[in-house]
Amino acid sequence: MKITIPHMGNVYLAAKALFDGLGVDYVIPPMNSKAALEIGSLHSPEEICLPFKIMVGNYIQAIEQGADTVIITGSCGPCRFGEYCEMQMKLLRRLGYQVDFIVIDAPKCIGLKELMARIARVAAASPRSRAQKWRALAQAVRIMNLLDAIEAKAHEKAGYEKVRGTCKRLLHACRQETFRCKTPREMLRCLHEYSRRLDQVPCDNSAKPIRIAIIGEIYTVIEPFSNLYIEDKLMDYGISTKRMMTPSWWMGNTIMSPLKINSPGIRMASRDYLPYYIGGHARECVGEAVLSWKEGFDGAIQIFPMGCMPEIVSKAILPAIARDKDFPVLSLVVDEMTGEAGYVTRIEAFIDMLERRRSHAVSRH
Amino acid sequence: MLYLGIDVGSVSTDLVLLDNDLQVVEKLYLRTRGNPIRAVQEGLRTLKERYRDEDVAACGTTGSGRQIASVLVGADAVKNEITAHAVAALELDRDVRTIIEIGGQDSKIILLRNGVVSDFAMNTVCAAGTGSFLDRQAERMGIPIEEFGDYALKAGMPVRIAGRCAVFAESDMIHKQQMGYNPADIIMGLCEALVRNYLNNVGKGKDIRPKVFFQGGVAANKGMKLAFERALGFEVIVPEHHKMMGAIGAAILAKDAVSRTGSTRFRGFALAEHRFESRGFECEGCANRCEVARIHENGREIGCFGDRCGKWSSRIASYPAKAGNM
Repeated sequence: MKITIPHMGNVYLAAKALFDGLGVDYVIPPMNSKAALEIGSLHSPEEICLPFKIMVGNYIQAIEQGADTVIITGSCGPCRFGEYCEMQMKLLRRLGYQVDFIVIDAPKCIGLKELMARIARVAAASPRSRAQKWRALAQAVRIMNLLDAIEAKAHEKAGYEKVRGTCKRLLHACRQETFRCKTPREMLRCLHEYSRRLDQVPCDNSAKPIRIAIIGEIYTVIEPFSNLYIEDKLMDYGISTKRMMTPSWWMGNTIMSPLKINSPGIRMASRDYLPYYIGGHARECVGEAVLSWKEGFDGAIQIFPMGCMPEIVSKAILPAIARDKDFPVLSLVVDEMTGEAGYVTRIEAFIDMLERRRSHAVSRH
Repeated sequence: MLYLGIDVGSVSTDLVLLDNDLQVVEKLYLRTRGNPIRAVQEGLRTLKERYRDEDVAACGTTGSGRQIASVLVGADAVKNEITAHAVAALELDRDVRTIIEIGGQDSKIILLRNGVVSDFAMNTVCAAGTGSFLDRQAERMGIPIEEFGDYALKAGMPVRIAGRCAVFAESDMIHKQQMGYNPADIIMGLCEALVRNYLNNVGKGKDIRPKVFFQGGVAANKGMKLAFERALGFEVIVPEHHKMMGAIGAAILAKDAVSRTGSTRFRGFALAEHRFESRGFECEGCANRCEVARIHENGREIGCFGDRCGKWSSRIASYPAKAGNM
């Protein structure tokens, strides 16, 4: 069994740690690129959302490198992500690829027993002892959390750094070096080192950078390729950004949701505008918009793939928040046709507007 | 002293010269025809006959081709269209609260409060109702685009056209033509459909308050102005230089920039005679395979665009900084 996973932000690093720790054979697909998207678009339904197409590209590229088993998370959710695994299985089979899918889904959808059986399939491929397997899992979770924390720190500090570009360079180096590590333990050490180096980046604490929250559909905000590297761009402009949606947030949220105690802040904040879970992460998007206003951000950028059903609902709600709170929100829609020029123009104009609002003191700062 | 503003758009390239009182002394409206370099050069050549390099105290660029134009002419300010349009409108009238701008391939709405942009939106994934669509329909009906608006005003009873999508709008128009409706009613119907589409799309959830300025090439269409006034219920003002507002804004921003830096980077009208070549290639440095465009001036490379990692675009130090000059 040779396992692979689709890309989503830094998840591949945690997955690598897990598979290294378990001692199973795996392929990390080549980093997301136009090549992966082209392969995916060629074989996917025209009107399916962007993440589906990129993921199909990932699978095929990984299969070419010998992968025979795909692990993905499911959702059985009332958004098209719930159909992903079934459609992708059919699609690959029709293309003549012999691959197994192991879909990790919530117990309420497939039952605890079935979930355990699926996890056991992965575990069975590992030659390690039970204790070692648990440790590998714990290490992978720690690595994911650390990665998300490092990323968040770099994105925030980009607005304060004395030498423009320091944080961005460190973040990129961190990803590359982590990927080269052979064992989870080595990875953890590397991540701690980069975390420390980020703390030491010389900062101008009197700086008052523009602060923007990144909200929207989970895949397109987390996966930089899909949003045309928006966080890197904003770092270049010296903007401090924050994104609540991370793989580690997702893990915590998913574990807590059966008890209905997940993300209490978002539940409270979204109450006036969207008090229901309507699928995808629409409620989170609305809640985050309100939360980022409360936290004194200058504005928010919502990103979602063309045709994303939940985010279309939140896009319709966001103008009301913008009006009520005098809090600008820019909505960006991405798909394989997104032209970079128009995209950059919108981002530049948004930043320009935030700066001018501030200098005219109509902003709340 | 004169201030030069250049707006390189998808359809047209506009050049203006403003005097010290920011009044328009010269304006040129040229078709871009997919070649921004040639369009800018053509404009400079025309200006060269009447003005000297020393007359130009500042130069700014805007529009989707602002980066390429800035490398070409040596711009003091490189700004996005939203800011440029807002600056130009505010210069004309401090009380403007809403700007409706419809250009060749995009449409935007800009809300201004207390003399500053407070919110804006641009068409996201659909370009139905922008200038190039109207151009195409005028051509199809055999009516010069300049007279398209006058036709609309003659309408007795505008027919209802499905304006959600350009393709469907066109087939609906053909259908109505074949049913025998007169062209005036169809054109006015189209204008109303496009305005409806604009207000439901770009203008969705936006608080449109008077005074409203209607800018961009499409504002020349009287039918569109009338349709906006009917839909909004108040007067919509089309400024005299509505086509040029982007370029005017760029010129004003350039004047501001030079008042801070002290001297202009404008490279002179002689550029019109230089030989510019743009060569594109696909970088093979990584899987992203960026399409990189290199601009050569008389055989010497002066600029590079389109690479994600900065490997090419950062090679020449004098490039307009993307961030600082925003």
